[in-house]
Amino acid sequence: MIELLSFPFMQRALLAAVFVGLVAPVIGTFMVQRKLALLGDGIGHVALTGVALGFLTSTSPIIAALIVAALGAVVLELVRERTRTSGDVALALLFYGGLAGGVLLIGLAPGASNATLTSFLFGSVSTVTEQDVYVMGGLAVLVLGVIGYFGRELFVLCQDEEVARTHGLPVRLLSLIIAVTAALTVVISMRVVGVLLVSALMVVPVAAAQQLTRSFRVTIALAMGIGVAAALGGLSTAAYADVSPGAAIVLLAIAVFIAAVLLGRALRLRRGAPRIEHDGPAPGTIPHTETGSVST
Amino acid sequence: MSAETLSQARPAPPPQPPAVRVRDAVVSYDRRPVVRGVSLDIGAGEVVAVLGPNGSGKSTLLRAILGLVPLTAGTVDLHGTPLRRFTEWARIGYVPQRLSAGGGVPATVREVVASGQVARRRRLSLPTTEDRAAVTEALETVGLLHRSRDSVHELSGGQQQRVLIARALAGRPDTFLMDEPLAGVDAASQQTLADTIAALSGRGATVVLVLHELGPLEPLIGRAVVLSEGTVGHDGAPPRPFGDCARDGHEHIHPHADAAGGASALPTIEVPRRD
Ligand SMILES: Nc1ncnc2c1ncn2[C@@H]1O[C@H](COP(=O)(O)OP(=O)(O)OP(=O)(O)O)[C@@H](O)[C@H]1O
Ligand SMILES: [Mg+2]
Repeated sequence: MIELLSFPFMQRALLAAVFVGLVAPVIGTFMVQRKLALLGDGIGHVALTGVALGFLTSTSPIIAALIVAALGAVVLELVRERTRTSGDVALALLFYGGLAGGVLLIGLAPGASNATLTSFLFGSVSTVTEQDVYVMGGLAVLVLGVIGYFGRELFVLCQDEEVARTHGLPVRLLSLIIAVTAALTVVISMRVVGVLLVSALMVVPVAAAQQLTRSFRVTIALAMGIGVAAALGGLSTAAYADVSPGAAIVLLAIAVFIAAVLLGRALRLRRGAPRIEHDGPAPGTIPHTETGSVST
Repeated sequence: MSAETLSQARPAPPPQPPAVRVRDAVVSYDRRPVVRGVSLDIGAGEVVAVLGPNGSGKSTLLRAILGLVPLTAGTVDLHGTPLRRFTEWARIGYVPQRLSAGGGVPATVREVVASGQVARRRRLSLPTTEDRAAVTEALETVGLLHRSRDSVHELSGGQQQRVLIARALAGRPDTFLMDEPLAGVDAASQQTLADTIAALSGRGATVVLVLHELGPLEPLIGRAVVLSEGTVGHDGAPPRPFGDCARDGHEHIHPHADAAGGASALPTIEVPRRD
């Protein structure tokens, strides 16, 4: 590990992995609660068209992907809002259109090929440039800032959209914020795990964390921890065993999920048989009266 | 703390427009009218029960009043403002018919109850002492303080219902719209909630309750609106099977008469505008 750290490309890769591990599970928690777990997947496909456009126009593939993914996310959200029944078809058109558009456009771009695209499909963290790291870092700060700023409202929206409306919250704006921050997260993660595996880093750490938690805040914090651990662990493993970093990161996250399921089950067994519902504190116990430590 | 909260209670408010005004409201699902021409005024400070058989459109009417389903025809005003232009949402406390499970990410009882204050809190602000106290009082009122740190998904149906009521209380609104708040709630908690509603009403809160049985709320309810197939079949004193106020030895407490009952565990009603 220490000697690996002396390689600049490895330092950049580790930084990129930390950004992804931190950010993807945060937006992922809101997406899972809003039942949009696979939204990241769809946005990823659309982002691919952006990547190809970047190569075609000889601009930055990341910036182009950023713009196209954000636009795609807005369209996805508006389609989702309008159509409750035929939404699936519209979404499928956008997903596959995005993928096919990427493959088609990359063929037209000089000096780029499907191999170039593959590095975005499955990630290629070792080729992350210094400029990429700055862009990814900036985006990570932006996403965390936006979610922190609107967090309380996003929590209400994801709990119950109708209740959010009766509080007068800007429901459409908040939905768009989730979609666009998801798009930014996809672009951040694209170089590390690739668009095909982005969703895994948004969903799996959250699924693992919620096996062990009771609170929304703690779930987010634990999911971030799991995300960073999986990203760093997977990257190091990949460096030693010479396997795909993206795949190693995702498989590690899934391993953590399985461990969390088993641990959660064991903890619940140890706490005793399923809790008996009662309306007062059980005789001889002190009720939890500590206030204010968890609030939204 | 509760003494201080009590002293903040306001004197009787000056004359106000009706809390809810519904005119010729029609609501349709897939072109099928479910609410068919309902007109209704609910004065500020009134406690009104909305009754009627399953499928008669009670929830739909409540949802239309809140703008959650579009009106096919007619108008809704809240506190004298057409729904479209209404902005004082911190005054509104909605208790939906059930807790929505969402995607299943855990949230503690306290997190959910505290989220009821979202309309009155600035972004990025930390909860003030009063905010925290209101959450604690709301939890105390529904008897779930000892479950604050548990996940809402681990609670029974009746306890979840009480979480929803506490969430509405925590926001300290002055206008409550509750869809079957007592469904699945045991007798003791029903009585506590009846006392709570009596106290709220004593402070001038408007309370609209969709109910199937008046139960312990019976003495509070001076007016019942009975829906039948989407129209108002009766509007006035609770019909006989529901509330027989003339019964001997039965104490009739008028909504405004008494502010004392159950007041100790109640958040104050005080509604600053959201910026
Ligand atoms: N989302 C919906 N889509 C289509 N039809 C609906 C929808 N919600 C309710 N309905 C229909 O509208 C009618 C009125 O429903 P509503 O929920 O308002 O009844 P309710 O009086 O609240 O009944 P309950 O006592 O069972 O709660 C019913 O016939 C129902 O089938
Ligand atoms: Mg109903």
